[in-house]
Amino acid sequence: MKKYLALASGLLLLTLAFIGWMDSRRPTPIALTPTLTGQPEYCLTCHSDLPEISTSHPVKTFGCVICHGGERLALDANLAHSSMRGGVNPSDLSVVEASCGGSNCHSGDQAAGRDHIQRVMTSVQSTYAGAIANIRYTFGAQPDLKAYFGIATVTDEQTKTGITSLQAFDPSHESSPSIQKFGVNCLTCHLHAQPREGEAYARQTGCAACHATSKHTLSTAIPYTQCNACHNRGNYNLRTMTFEERADHPTTRLHDYYQPIAQFTQCEYTLDCVDCHTRTEAMGDGDIHVNQKSIEYAQCKTCHGTPTKLPRTQTLTDPNDIASTLAMLNPVTNLKLGDTILVTEKGEPLWNTRVLADGTYALIGKATRQYFTFRPVMGSGCTQSGEDQSSAYCHECHAVER
Amino acid sequence: MRPSFFHHLHPPTIPAAQARWRYTLGAGGTAVFLMLVLGLTGILEAFYYSPNPQEAALSVQTITYLVPFGGLVRNLHYWSAQLLILVAGIHLLRVVFTAAYSRPRRFNYLLGLGLFILALLLDFTGYILRWDEGICYPLVTGTNLLKTIPLIGNFIYRIAIGGGEACTTALLRFYIWHIFGLTLLAVILSVWHAFRVRRDGGIAVPPPHLRTDTARISRNELVRREVLAILIVSILLILLASFFPAPIAPAMTGKPVMTENARAPWFFLWVQQMLKWGDPFAFGVLIPLILLAILALVPYIFPQPADSDIGRWFPKSNRVAQIVVIVITLTVIALTLLALVS
Repeated sequence: MKKYLALASGLLLLTLAFIGWMDSRRPTPIALTPTLTGQPEYCLTCHSDLPEISTSHPVKTFGCVICHGGERLALDANLAHSSMRGGVNPSDLSVVEASCGGSNCHSGDQAAGRDHIQRVMTSVQSTYAGAIANIRYTFGAQPDLKAYFGIATVTDEQTKTGITSLQAFDPSHESSPSIQKFGVNCLTCHLHAQPREGEAYARQTGCAACHATSKHTLSTAIPYTQCNACHNRGNYNLRTMTFEERADHPTTRLHDYYQPIAQFTQCEYTLDCVDCHTRTEAMGDGDIHVNQKSIEYAQCKTCHGTPTKLPRTQTLTDPNDIASTLAMLNPVTNLKLGDTILVTEKGEPLWNTRVLADGTYALIGKATRQYFTFRPVMGSGCTQSGEDQSSAYCHECHAVER
Repeated sequence: MRPSFFHHLHPPTIPAAQARWRYTLGAGGTAVFLMLVLGLTGILEAFYYSPNPQEAALSVQTITYLVPFGGLVRNLHYWSAQLLILVAGIHLLRVVFTAAYSRPRRFNYLLGLGLFILALLLDFTGYILRWDEGICYPLVTGTNLLKTIPLIGNFIYRIAIGGGEACTTALLRFYIWHIFGLTLLAVILSVWHAFRVRRDGGIAVPPPHLRTDTARISRNELVRREVLAILIVSILLILLASFFPAPIAPAMTGKPVMTENARAPWFFLWVQQMLKWGDPFAFGVLIPLILLAILALVPYIFPQPADSDIGRWFPKSNRVAQIVVIVITLTVIALTLLALVS
């Protein structure tokens, strides 16, 4: 009996030593108490290697859980991650209100331009309303090109476009096989959708589709490559209702930028998309639009004017002007009160431009920080009539040969 | 040498034949040890546990992941509780299969059965204290069963849940029942049960004139055997606690979630399986209560075992009771397995 007792005691000591060894292998918990929540979280125990997501969201202020959800005290990966919003992407539109919303954040005051989520939800990048209406009209499912359906149900109570709501598009309710096929093959290019397979299409959903410029980085300095994950990737074949991926393999930016059939000028492939296209064009203006044409308006003349008219300008006098905020979020240029910048036809600030003393203009690339100077059309040798000033006319003379 | 306090808790000598592992299976003693472990680890957990619906699951995460050796303590508490049900069940079967319940031990048999029920209730209430997404379905199902009882159902439900809904406010009640009400009852019944073992003449043996083996062992030897059992059970517990952590799930946020694959805790799976068959009162309350009543009446309604059969495995004279209890046990096991595979 004493032999057994000694043996069992020895085994128990071994087991206890084993526990001590197991415990010593556990990572030391790293606590963080973000100032916004005041609740400790331990995510950094494993994730201390992640870069700061953006200067606007410092981890010491926000922590991780306020955006990502998850079990803040759990040190087991499965449990800690089990309740995360949107998996790795809390900005997925299905959860974005809980992650990024709130009146102090991105569901804020419309007048102050803080209603980002409403704008994205109603934007054509998210509703895909134009394409859906076009296909349904083409195959006889609706009598006109008005927008009745979007990817998800969306409402706009303060509409300026006359469209108060869109119903969720459900291809299974369509009688035309072509529309059904469109539903299967052609719905990968909106912000709700998971992208197609392949590196060229790699992007997140929701806000991160555009703003996550690299792993765990949010930015308003969005390079054209980010836009190219959806745009310029191929064409819909309306006969077969399939998406035909772009077959060429561009190696330079010039070839990468637009599809082979497209015409464009030097500035259009030297600059990034966001250098000319404004925030309401890209993210929507809070109203439901019938299609892309209804919201997109920046043209050559927005910056260059016409032979008879200079582009609009604005001298900054208000420190709370949206231009100052935008310049602060992406500090590629030191914008000061008293500076004169170009503004679009709708009055949106092109905050990365300047009107120079000699009457010419400068533009600083939002993503590249390159400095460009350019001239107005007025006073140049351009003889194009004042009526025909859309970009297509400019391309007639100024397109780049490929 | 005068016996120590611990030795003094034991009778000076006990019959050698009934002190063997293969007779007692060590079940009663192991149950006592597991209860001590449960008390100790429970007290340690109580230093960090918060019975507040908003904080409970987070405090369980704190215990599990952040308190030094807190995970080990919680896992030991969990595994001791599961093993206790198993060991208490084995103890019950041993007592039936060795005719040890017969006069004068009939009342102590009932005390033991009461302790078994208390162990189940303590296990269930402890499971609820996690207060995470995993517990909502069993809590709602279990407490809704109370409502199906005719006449007094709603009253019992209110006693169990209090005001409000099962998954929103009932936590404090379950907490108080777990750490105070049921635990106090269990302590009283355990002491009573142990007292009655001594009062009823110690471990069940035939009367002296019918014994074939008159050898006895001293309490020193008995304590040594108990210590050996404690060492073995401790090693087993620590290994289980290290390799198979107690279940945990995300904290409940906002509305409670009823996940489709939610399961009752394993010891109530057999009831869950029967609930699929129809009337919740019949299958969820009445049948379990009838089975419990049959178990409780084993010493009273079946033919009394012969004096010479007391303390022997599977004696002929209480065959009926053995068969009834075997059928009940196998049915419960079969239903549990059915629920596990479906």
